[in-house]
Amino acid sequence: MSDCRSEHSTAGELIIQNITKNFAGLRALDSVSLTLKRGEILGLIGPNGSGKTTLINVITGLLPLDGGRVLIGDVEITNKPPYEIARAGLGRTFQTIRLFRELTVMENVEVAAVSMGCSRKEAKRRALIAIEEMGLEDWVGRLASELPYGLERKVEIARAFAMQPSFLLLDEPAAGLNEEESDQLLDMLAPIPERKGLGLLIVDHDMRLIMRLCHRLHVLSYGKTIGEGTPDEVRRIPQVIEAYLGKTAVRG
Amino acid sequence: MKNTNAGILWLKSHTTPFILSIPLLILAVLVQAYGDTLLVRIVTVLFINLVMVLSLQVFMGNSGILNFAHIGFMGIGAYTSVLFSMTPQAKAATLPDLYPFLRPIHLPFLPSLLIGAIAAALVAALVGYALMRLSDAAAVITLFALLVIIHTILVHWSIVTNGPRTLFGVDNYTSLGISTFFGILVIFIAYLFKETPVGLKLRASRDDRYAAASIGVNIVQVRWAGFVLSAFLAGFGGGLWAHFITSFSPYAFYLTETFSVLSMLVIGGTGSVSGAVLGTVVVTLLREGLRAVENSVNIAGVFPNNLVGFTEVVLSLLLILILVFRPSGLLGSQEIRLANTIPLASGKFSASELSRESSPKEGEHV
Ligand SMILES: Nc1ncnc2c1ncn2[C@@H]1O[C@H](COP(=O)(O)OP(=O)(O)OP(=O)(O)O)[C@@H](O)[C@H]1O
Ligand SMILES: [Mg+2]
Repeated sequence: MSDCRSEHSTAGELIIQNITKNFAGLRALDSVSLTLKRGEILGLIGPNGSGKTTLINVITGLLPLDGGRVLIGDVEITNKPPYEIARAGLGRTFQTIRLFRELTVMENVEVAAVSMGCSRKEAKRRALIAIEEMGLEDWVGRLASELPYGLERKVEIARAFAMQPSFLLLDEPAAGLNEEESDQLLDMLAPIPERKGLGLLIVDHDMRLIMRLCHRLHVLSYGKTIGEGTPDEVRRIPQVIEAYLGKTAVRG
Repeated sequence: MKNTNAGILWLKSHTTPFILSIPLLILAVLVQAYGDTLLVRIVTVLFINLVMVLSLQVFMGNSGILNFAHIGFMGIGAYTSVLFSMTPQAKAATLPDLYPFLRPIHLPFLPSLLIGAIAAALVAALVGYALMRLSDAAAVITLFALLVIIHTILVHWSIVTNGPRTLFGVDNYTSLGISTFFGILVIFIAYLFKETPVGLKLRASRDDRYAAASIGVNIVQVRWAGFVLSAFLAGFGGGLWAHFITSFSPYAFYLTETFSVLSMLVIGGTGSVSGAVLGTVVVTLLREGLRAVENSVNIAGVFPNNLVGFTEVVLSLLLILILVFRPSGLLGSQEIRLANTIPLASGKFSASELSRESSPKEGEHV
């Protein structure tokens, strides 16, 4: 019995058109366009301060944008309040972890389904599935504030899964993880988009993870797109090599 | 059959309101049977305080917004309910200028309480729509302004409140039994509210409003719902108090009472119904004890001058100590429950591992 089946299960692509965002004098995003299909994993990369987090923030309505449009299929979500964008099928995580610290792990995940309109019973069912997917079964009754760091990010991802979004934007899910943990995360994430018909956008500085996980990459530098394509195509683009010069990042 | 099992399972994971109510119920029964007039009064007040503190917890505890306006809603409930419950003769004596259409109305006690509660909820619903957009300091200051506004209206709307003067002639309907019944009812309401979808979303928005919005929580809407329920219960508590004390002025619903109710909640722990109950019991009993000490010291003439404000000073000190050493209150945000009944999906770790002692104190995590 599902009293809150995702109504956006037929949504088309997430389309971002010519997005511009200024902070006072700083142009953080300069006419950035990209498209995210369901079932695909898109890597959004770029040096520190290139505008990756800002892009996620404007797409999800946390920051107002100064130009451009955001659409899911043919539904315009530009400048809608964040909760409406979430209900339109867009989930996200945060670079600086944001959990509900005084709620249990179960409640953290459950509330995402509840806010999509599920009864608590159905929300619990959904939450348990997401919790198992992230391997958090042993922690369900704990407060989020009691979790070790590595698990906090997993709870954030499980919470987003429980929304059953059409598109999910992950902001540095591997930050602070060691190589082993990051490999684990990779194994967990890789099969999910195809299985759920989920469009996944991943921001990360861990190039090993990005190169192995992503079908396509989108590269930002100083708020501008400097390259797009498959991982192999992108690592041959001169501007990308230049932006990452001195880093071992493009090695793959 | 299946339903009864589900019901039992549900009860097992929600023991909190029962654990909180049973000792209070026993206390009320014992005092009713053996207590003298003073003790009956103290315990009646205890349960009225419980309604006020728990109703504050419903909004403040779950939304995280410090609500200074709360006692204003108590005032609205008190004045509205007595306008409906007083006899026409009593109204003529204390409110000679009352609007003619209100003069002949004379309703029983409970409908009057309900009307008072609805009036408070309506006011909250109207102002809340704008107020609930604000957060942090802006919200606190605006709610304080709301308290001042409600107070000013009560003081100046002489036709229905007798102005700054005392309104008298209210019937004494709030017995120990009545206040016990509603005090315990509100324990259940406050506990169940936390577990409703709205309550859960409100608690999420308290912990992180950006994360809550990003999973689809309409924060203004859930805050509004909590605010209106909180005001409804406060209005109800105001009615209970009015029909206990039987004569009062608008100054009863101002800073002193605000401080008193806030300190009960903060000392016990804002985040949980258990904390609210414990804080109410501790502070109410402590206050009566201190007052007795203060009186006997004065009667014995230990000091050349009378001891004044001793009770208030000690309670304020207690509040400060709690804020310094246990900022989340005596009980913090975890409910008291039977140790082996925490709702779990897997039993891979022991219940003692989950008990609240193992959780870090507020401010400990970086
Ligand atoms: N709220 C804000 N106010 C002012 N400037 C901001 C704000 N948020 C971001 N910026 C600026 O916008 C630019 C882009 O920042 P953003 O956080 O999007 O970069 P990023 O690509 O996510 O970097 P990182 O890899 O370090 O996370 C930076 O120069 C940053 O200082
Ligand atoms: Mg970033």
